[in-house]
Amino acid sequence: MSSESSKKRKPKVIRSDGAPAEGKRTRSDTEQEGKYYSEEAEVDLRDPGRDYELYKYTCQELQRLMAEIQDLKSRGGKDAAVEIEDRRIQSCVHFMTLKKLNRLAHIRLKKGRDQTHEAKQKVDAYHLQLQNLLYEVMHLQKEITKCLEFKSKHEEIDLVSLEEFYKEAPPDISKAEVTMGDPHQQTLARLDWELEQRKRLAEKYRECLSNKEKILKEIEVKKEYLSSLQPRLNSIMQASLPVQEYLFMPFDQAHKQYETARHLPPPLYVLFVQATAYGQACDKMLSVAIEGSVDEAKALFKPPEDSQGKWYSGSSSMSSSKRRRPTLGVQLDDKRKEMLKRHPLSVLLDLKCKDGSALHLTFYYLMNLNIMTVKAKVTTAAELTTPISAGDLLSPDSVLSCLYPGDHGKKTPNPANQYQFDKVGILTLRDYVLDLGHPYLWVQKLGGLHFPKEQPQHTVITDHSLSASHMETTMKLLKTRVQSRLALHKQFASLEHGIVPVTSDCHYLFPAKVVSRLVKWVTIAHEDYTELHFTKDIVEAGLAGDTNLYYMALVERGTAKLQAAVVLNPGYSSIPPIFQLCLNWKGEKTNNNDDNIRAMESEVNVCYKELCGPRPGHQLLTNQLQRLCVLLDVYLETESHDDSVEGPKEFPQEKMCLRLFRGPSRIKPFKYNHPQGFFSHR
Amino acid sequence: MERAAQQAVPLGQMEVFQALQRLHMTIFSQSVSPCGKFLAAGNNYGQIAIFSLSAALSSEAKEESKKPMVTFHAHDGPVYSMVSTDRHLLSAGDGEVKAWLWAEILKKGCKELWRRQPPYRTSLEVPEINALLLVPKENLLILAGGDCQLHAMDLETGTFMWALRGHTDYIHCLALRERSPEVLSGGEDGAVRLWDLRTAKEVQTIEVYKHEECSRPHNGRWIGCLATDSDWMVCGGGPALTLWHLRSSTPTTVFPMRAPQKHVTFYQDLILSAGQGRCVNQWQLSGELKAQVPGSSPGLLSLSLNQQPAAPECKVLTAAGNSCRVDVFTNLGYRAFSLSF
Repeated sequence: MSSESSKKRKPKVIRSDGAPAEGKRTRSDTEQEGKYYSEEAEVDLRDPGRDYELYKYTCQELQRLMAEIQDLKSRGGKDAAVEIEDRRIQSCVHFMTLKKLNRLAHIRLKKGRDQTHEAKQKVDAYHLQLQNLLYEVMHLQKEITKCLEFKSKHEEIDLVSLEEFYKEAPPDISKAEVTMGDPHQQTLARLDWELEQRKRLAEKYRECLSNKEKILKEIEVKKEYLSSLQPRLNSIMQASLPVQEYLFMPFDQAHKQYETARHLPPPLYVLFVQATAYGQACDKMLSVAIEGSVDEAKALFKPPEDSQGKWYSGSSSMSSSKRRRPTLGVQLDDKRKEMLKRHPLSVLLDLKCKDGSALHLTFYYLMNLNIMTVKAKVTTAAELTTPISAGDLLSPDSVLSCLYPGDHGKKTPNPANQYQFDKVGILTLRDYVLDLGHPYLWVQKLGGLHFPKEQPQHTVITDHSLSASHMETTMKLLKTRVQSRLALHKQFASLEHGIVPVTSDCHYLFPAKVVSRLVKWVTIAHEDYTELHFTKDIVEAGLAGDTNLYYMALVERGTAKLQAAVVLNPGYSSIPPIFQLCLNWKGEKTNNNDDNIRAMESEVNVCYKELCGPRPGHQLLTNQLQRLCVLLDVYLETESHDDSVEGPKEFPQEKMCLRLFRGPSRIKPFKYNHPQGFFSHR
Repeated sequence: MERAAQQAVPLGQMEVFQALQRLHMTIFSQSVSPCGKFLAAGNNYGQIAIFSLSAALSSEAKEESKKPMVTFHAHDGPVYSMVSTDRHLLSAGDGEVKAWLWAEILKKGCKELWRRQPPYRTSLEVPEINALLLVPKENLLILAGGDCQLHAMDLETGTFMWALRGHTDYIHCLALRERSPEVLSGGEDGAVRLWDLRTAKEVQTIEVYKHEECSRPHNGRWIGCLATDSDWMVCGGGPALTLWHLRSSTPTTVFPMRAPQKHVTFYQDLILSAGQGRCVNQWQLSGELKAQVPGSSPGLLSLSLNQQPAAPECKVLTAAGNSCRVDVFTNLGYRAFSLSF
């Protein structure tokens, strides 16, 4: 009920405290015309503190009134209804007050909120402005810095220096008075001058270009002229051929050779040049020729892409289809063949000796390995019947072995080849030398190829001088080698028949009567030599390598048999043959158990210089053998007679000796004295 | 393989010749310097090499220490014997005796101090001198060799005082009997003769080959080595190595050694001998073989004991013979190392 009444009374407007409770719309309307009543305005006028006090008071009153109504209702009574009504009306009034206060509070709140909102909006607007301005400031600053940093193109041009500028530039450009003071003008002036200069230079350039064109045209014309000359010269050459032949001046032939020589690889070319020069200057018996196919040589110089392309395509085709791939062995074989390929051209050297024999040397060049090899052949004026023991003497494989000490030609002299060999599985070049020729060190030197030795060397010589300095020595050595081998050849033929061929100019070295005879002369293998029990010293001293030739000689007299194992060094006859002896007579005597055998060996090995005979000393071996026979004679004849044994001496003493024994070792008299003909001690 | 090939050093003519010379070298004689630190060795080419024993024996010896300090050409023929006085090295070979100063010998181009040739009877061939013997008390040098005589030379004046004749064939070795100064000589004729130095006369002759216990006819009768200990004498060569009692001239012990011995010497209570065969033999006086120490040469010709008081650290036995090497035995039991020409 009270709520209904409060609802009804809602539209009523209460003016202020103590004001009458009625308030009509019409009044408010009329009041509006003049001044309208706004509760909002009223809010500003009232004091919120007092409103709060009023609120508290009103609540208290309400509570009191309710309590009294309660009281009255509980007591009951007739007066109560009027009192209650009275009090009810008062509480209604209080309700009104409360409502008003509530409204005021709401309005105040709203107002406050509105004000805050407004202020906030303002602040936001300012904030936005500030931001905008800041951005603008930043932007402007950036622009400023950009402008400040701007480099104009003109600064990249290197201008001539100031002094030069003032010196060179014509005054209308430099305008000294103006530019000195004003740097801007100065720079402008300098730029002007730069432009001037560039224009001038461009002019010059154009002129030069046109000059060049003219000259090129002239060159063309001259070239054509020259090329038209060539065929005319050729025809003159052809015409002169019969004249050359008539006069025995084979220039053409030599010219042809030089033509072919142009296609030789550099080492062979060096060899060719040096050999021809040496032949012309020192040795008329030397002739040089070039063999082989020039076309193939030219073909080698085709553009490398083709050959490489072939190789790659070949290998890719090999790897692509498994069925067609050749076996690994065949692949390797091909690679090996490729590595060991020879240049198609080779140089042929013919060394002729006075007796008609000749040494034919063919020099090859292995392109991938960068080494030269040589194949040798010895021909004689007359046909040679080869004695069995002389098989190795002139064989192409060994005739040039160790021309210089240690140069056995079985190993490649180029240390880089080892790595190449590893790639294709070649162990050593030794297996291929029969086919390819021997890579002797002197051959490399003749071709001007110089490889670092395994031991450090001090001198490094360059191409042609290396070849030239070796040419003469090598040619001489080659000649001596051939001669000594041929001499040995002949001697071996005689030795195999049991005759020691002593030439007449060496007869003085030996007594007239030599009874001991050479019975056997055979070659033995290197391994057999080292197995012999009486050769251990020689083997240990390193004198019995596998480049030497080994022989066994047997000298006999009566029951005494003397075995001699001979080491023939390839460098015979400058290096003497070495003999080791074993005597079988009344027991086995070698240098281990008999001082006299040792002395005999010494006579033959150490005192060999007297046995060399006339130069060039090819008689050394035969003289040594003859001396051996003489020594055996002396040994057997001077053996002291054993008194306890019956019977005469087997070998009566026929040699004239002064004394039979001498020195602590009781050596026999082995030295033959000529012309007196007696034996004495050294 | 190309890389692993064992190559002999490429031998030119010089290297081969030198190698051959070394192979055929025989060292005949040795002598120790008075200071005990050096050893001189003479070979069949007439060269004398001086080795430094102190360097070779020191703890930091290298291969070069085993090579000679100097080698020089002393004689035209082999150097068969050498002996040292307290200042000189005397070497003899082909008929001459030369003296060298030990103090100068290490310098390059050393020249002999003097050379002497004893008066020989024959002039057809110069006889060799096989043995030199120093008699310090009388300052004498006794030479013996190819002309079958003993010559005595006074070291002060260099004159040859007398010559003792008696041997019928050349003399191999000499020994000195100090007590009554007597010289023993053994020769190719198979006899050991004793000579009195003061009277210069032959006192005693022992013909070794005539005694059956020691003679070995198949070897010959020559006496290659002699050593004496005043009462005792040991000799060998063609006949077996035998110990003799001098006063009674009887062989007391025959040493069972088949190979002919070329050098024998008394050492403490042992007898050391060497000859054909690699070993240095050590014998007890009773005739037992105490030890046989192999050396590096196939036959030995000379033994030398370095007993110089000035260098006790170099007290070694050195043996040389049919090779270019001198074996050094620091301890009689084994060969320590070899010096080499």
